Amino acid sequence: MNAALELQGVHKSFDGNPALVDAFFSAAWGEVHALLGENGAGKSSLMNMVCGLYAPDTGSIKIDGRAVTVDGPLAARGLGVGMVHQHFKLVATMSVAENILLGHGKGGWRRSLRSVRGEIAGIGARIGFTIDPDARIDTLSVSEQQRVEIIKAMIGGAKILILDEPTAVLTDDESAGLLTQLRLFAQSGACIVLITHKLREVFSHADRVTVMRGGQTVDAGRKPSDFTPEKLSALMVGEARVYQIGEHLPPGQVRLELKQLSARRDNGAVALDRLNLQLRGGQVYGLAGVGGNGQAELAEVLMGIRAPKSGVLELEGGPVPPASSGRLRRHGVAHVPAERYLYGLAGDLTVMENFVITHLKDGRFGAWGWTDRRAFERETDAAIAAHNIQGARAATRARLLSGGNAQKLVLARELSGEPGVLVAHSPTRGLDVRACAAVHRALREASRAGTAVLLISEDLDEVLSVADRIGVINRGRIVREYDAPADRQEIGRFMVGHA
Amino acid sequence: MEFATFWLAATPLFAVPLIAAALGLILNERAGVLNLGCEGIMLCSALAATAAYLETGQSVALGLVVAIIAGAVVALGFGIFVVILRTNQVVTGITVVFLGSGLTGLIGVPWTNVALGGLQPIHIPGLTGIPVIGRFLFGQDPVVYVVLALVGVVSYALYRTRIGLKLRAVGENPQAADADGVNVEAYRLFAVMAGGALIGLAGGYLALASAKIFVFDMTQGRGWIAVALVIFARWMPWRALLGGLLFGGIEAVIPRIKAEGLPIPQYFLEMAPYAVTLFVLIYAAIRLRAGQDAPKALGVPYVRQDRR
Amino acid sequence: MTRRSWLRSTRLALEVRQRIPPLHRAAFILGALIVGLAICVAILVGRGVGLASIYEEFIAFTFFKASGVSTVIVQSTPLVLAGLSASLAFRVNYWNIGIEGQLFMGVIGATLVAIFDVGPESIRLVLMLVAAIVLGAAWALPPALLKVRLNVSEVISTLLFSYIAFYFVLNQVYGPWQDPKDKFPHSEQYDAIERLPPIGWEQVHYGIVVALAAVAVVWWLVERSRFGIQSRFVGTSPRMALAIGLPVGAIVASSAVLSGGMAGAAGFVIATATEFRLTPAMAAGYGFSGIVIAFLAGNRPFATLIVACLMGGLYVAGESMKVFYSLPDALVGLIQAIVVLSVTASEFFVRYRLRLAHYRGA
Repeated sequence: MNAALELQGVHKSFDGNPALVDAFFSAAWGEVHALLGENGAGKSSLMNMVCGLYAPDTGSIKIDGRAVTVDGPLAARGLGVGMVHQHFKLVATMSVAENILLGHGKGGWRRSLRSVRGEIAGIGARIGFTIDPDARIDTLSVSEQQRVEIIKAMIGGAKILILDEPTAVLTDDESAGLLTQLRLFAQSGACIVLITHKLREVFSHADRVTVMRGGQTVDAGRKPSDFTPEKLSALMVGEARVYQIGEHLPPGQVRLELKQLSARRDNGAVALDRLNLQLRGGQVYGLAGVGGNGQAELAEVLMGIRAPKSGVLELEGGPVPPASSGRLRRHGVAHVPAERYLYGLAGDLTVMENFVITHLKDGRFGAWGWTDRRAFERETDAAIAAHNIQGARAATRARLLSGGNAQKLVLARELSGEPGVLVAHSPTRGLDVRACAAVHRALREASRAGTAVLLISEDLDEVLSVADRIGVINRGRIVREYDAPADRQEIGRFMVGHA
Repeated sequence: MEFATFWLAATPLFAVPLIAAALGLILNERAGVLNLGCEGIMLCSALAATAAYLETGQSVALGLVVAIIAGAVVALGFGIFVVILRTNQVVTGITVVFLGSGLTGLIGVPWTNVALGGLQPIHIPGLTGIPVIGRFLFGQDPVVYVVLALVGVVSYALYRTRIGLKLRAVGENPQAADADGVNVEAYRLFAVMAGGALIGLAGGYLALASAKIFVFDMTQGRGWIAVALVIFARWMPWRALLGGLLFGGIEAVIPRIKAEGLPIPQYFLEMAPYAVTLFVLIYAAIRLRAGQDAPKALGVPYVRQDRR
Repeated sequence: MTRRSWLRSTRLALEVRQRIPPLHRAAFILGALIVGLAICVAILVGRGVGLASIYEEFIAFTFFKASGVSTVIVQSTPLVLAGLSASLAFRVNYWNIGIEGQLFMGVIGATLVAIFDVGPESIRLVLMLVAAIVLGAAWALPPALLKVRLNVSEVISTLLFSYIAFYFVLNQVYGPWQDPKDKFPHSEQYDAIERLPPIGWEQVHYGIVVALAAVAVVWWLVERSRFGIQSRFVGTSPRMALAIGLPVGAIVASSAVLSGGMAGAAGFVIATATEFRLTPAMAAGYGFSGIVIAFLAGNRPFATLIVACLMGGLYVAGESMKVFYSLPDALVGLIQAIVVLSVTASEFFVRYRLRLAHYRGA
């Protein structure tokens, strides 16, 4: 039998930076094939070629043994390929049916609308999803939106279904349900490609696994049972993750406290539900949780760009009216935001400008009317050296830094004022192992110097290895707190809310 | 009584260019293209209509058709810049205004300041004579009724056809539309051209029906008022019709007030449309929170491989 | 491989360049300028202007003859101020399209002081300048507040304010301020003491000092003050600026108001050095010229000075075209528009790379 999907010799570079180097992949009909790799390993880029969004520089794509040219999403659909992207490709202001009509349907508007409604119900019944075809996308939960994406792919006649990190946004229950359904779909003869970085899913749900690292395929097409978790993890990461946990110091005084803090999402849904939190000097507080349980809103409240609905924020024992980024910063709250180029760095400006911008009033950099350019350069150069920011000079545009070095620049700036509190939200997302280690070291060192560090992360291993104290956030509340070391299994259960 | 009759009867004459231009802009903006060049496109098509009318034996229909074509062609040029070359939509739009003004000033001399017979209203015995509303409803020129129908057509096309669906998707979330196989550039260009055709109709009507003359820079900010009208209408065709009638009514009342000899200084009267537009914008911002209804990708060029 | 299959197996892909070498950028912009200017020359030739006279009017006279150079300097002075005005607003992504209205209000301020003989004669001109700046800034304030507080699009509101200012000017010159001597729709001429004195070379007047001082002040503001670096963040990364606690609203609003004040100063120079009165036509074109100058100069103060002088040359040459070839005023705007369009188009080739992607499918 022909392979369902086969890619060979795929090269792709973006403006001279290679993203894929001679990557290859092969998946069979009737199987769930895991494509495993870290962030930035090239998994999504490779699969974006199959669904027609990127064109490979060189390389071939075969579907069911036939060489094909996928010169666009329509061509991909014609070949029976459907992809559920990590960031859903849905129009938020339109209904489910309209979103599906966007790519499908024939004939007049009314008729196609009716037939699409029928198909939604039909496929829903077949795979156990129910979805209201007339609901607007932005009124649906994330898992419901994902169902819409899957139904959309299946209505398009997908025989090869590619899912990019589908469980990242789901609870454990929802994930298990989804993966079971995918397995059923595979057993009916389809080919499922599951892009993931979670070993657990590979072992529990995949028939075979292909591992990518640094844009290359490093292991292809073996059964998960051929590996130990350590072996697979080593293949994926390249070098073993080494964290120096260091000793846990006795915690210092409370620097920041949230009392009964509530906040809403943009769409009005409850994001933080009377949350209580104490951050102490000399301590890294790791906040673990599945994404979408209020972490982003908590970070925004602490950044001062989201107004809480109720509750109190106290700094150094005194209440501070929040929702003013300037006031929080003046009180010594620093940030490493999750979205680096949205909130952390101005990509079009220089490393120097990005470094000095939050310190202009320190006294180091001259007066209001006459800033000291020499001091700008001197301090920036010193920070570049101290944090080992590679490829950076004072006049380099921040956009040109690699992910890890950009993050080091953010850390250098935020730690430069010796802040009382540092909020780091997913600070290692998308970074390679070495950069991760540097970030973790910087967080530890800051806390040893007396800063209260809040590490918000969806990576439980990161929290376990860096934090002195660990909290679990679930549906906008901190449901459990531990002093490190804590039991991984138990934390995992509280994260998904069964215990 | 007489005041109201004349005022109402004259309102569509001023409202139609605003409504047609706003409809065109709605098509543009729903697809994510901010067309600030509206004023310039109107000017070009006003001149095109006048030239065609004068050079071809005074055919109003031909003049309007030429205006529509001219609008679509100028808009296509604008579209090539903002959609294909991904230039800044604000800078390009403003530049098109001055391009239109410069171009019509340079080549329009032979057709400028020539009084035109232009478009005449219809007369339906029995109906047109109804007091107050008779002329308003039944004594307008044919284009008024055509534009009224166009409001319905655009509304239907946007919300009840697959082309409209794709057009709106391209303006709301081009990434999603692209992944669904919608050609984002093609739909945006199409929307810009179709919108340009409507803006062209507005310009042609302005010259051949409203003013019955072409003068340099005759649009007098009407293109910009149409841009504001779209915000007030929250990107919905039917509301644009209502807003257009409101604005047209205000413009139409000015000559009536002058004719009545009311003691309001002339130039303060002429300020009124702009001041009212301003108030309407403020009202829309406070009460309607119109910003929320804006297409999410409005003014943002789409590049598929935009890594970082 | 046949042609057809080659076509099928390749696809034009758009790629964002991460690194843009300065020379590369300069080459593309220069190329675009040449193309744009070539189109303009073609239009002029099409209207019956010979190549020799284009050279004579646009280059020889304006840049190589003393009388020409001085005319260009005089013409450039308000253009420098208009360009600075636009650049101050554009730096923070505030599209001030209402420069002409603010310029008019500046003239009204100066004229108020002149008509009512405010203050001692020795500082009358200074008072006129201050009044012009204050009124220009005041006229820019409401749209700025509407933008910052209510998110009302400044593109439309500044323009509407411009129209309102224009009709107010008409009201004044046809009404209370109409010149009693000739009954024309303009205000009475300023007294000699209310005019900018000549510096003593050709027709050049002290407006040049105002313009150069403005360049220096803006350079200080954007390059050396804290405000300058903060506003750079507001302009390029507004959400980051908010997140790190910069007073974004205040920075945007004050930039807009400074822009209005600068436009008012431009009005002052035109009124006190060229027109000596308020006229309804005196602001025409300065708004777009300011936008064009700021755009081509990349909002940099010294570049603004240079580009404004080139635009001054264009104005002077356009004036001769009007006189000798009866080409309309609109010509200058048309040439500016063509140049801007060619430069914006070149940005595409600077920012993106077009690549043919090959499939080795078949």
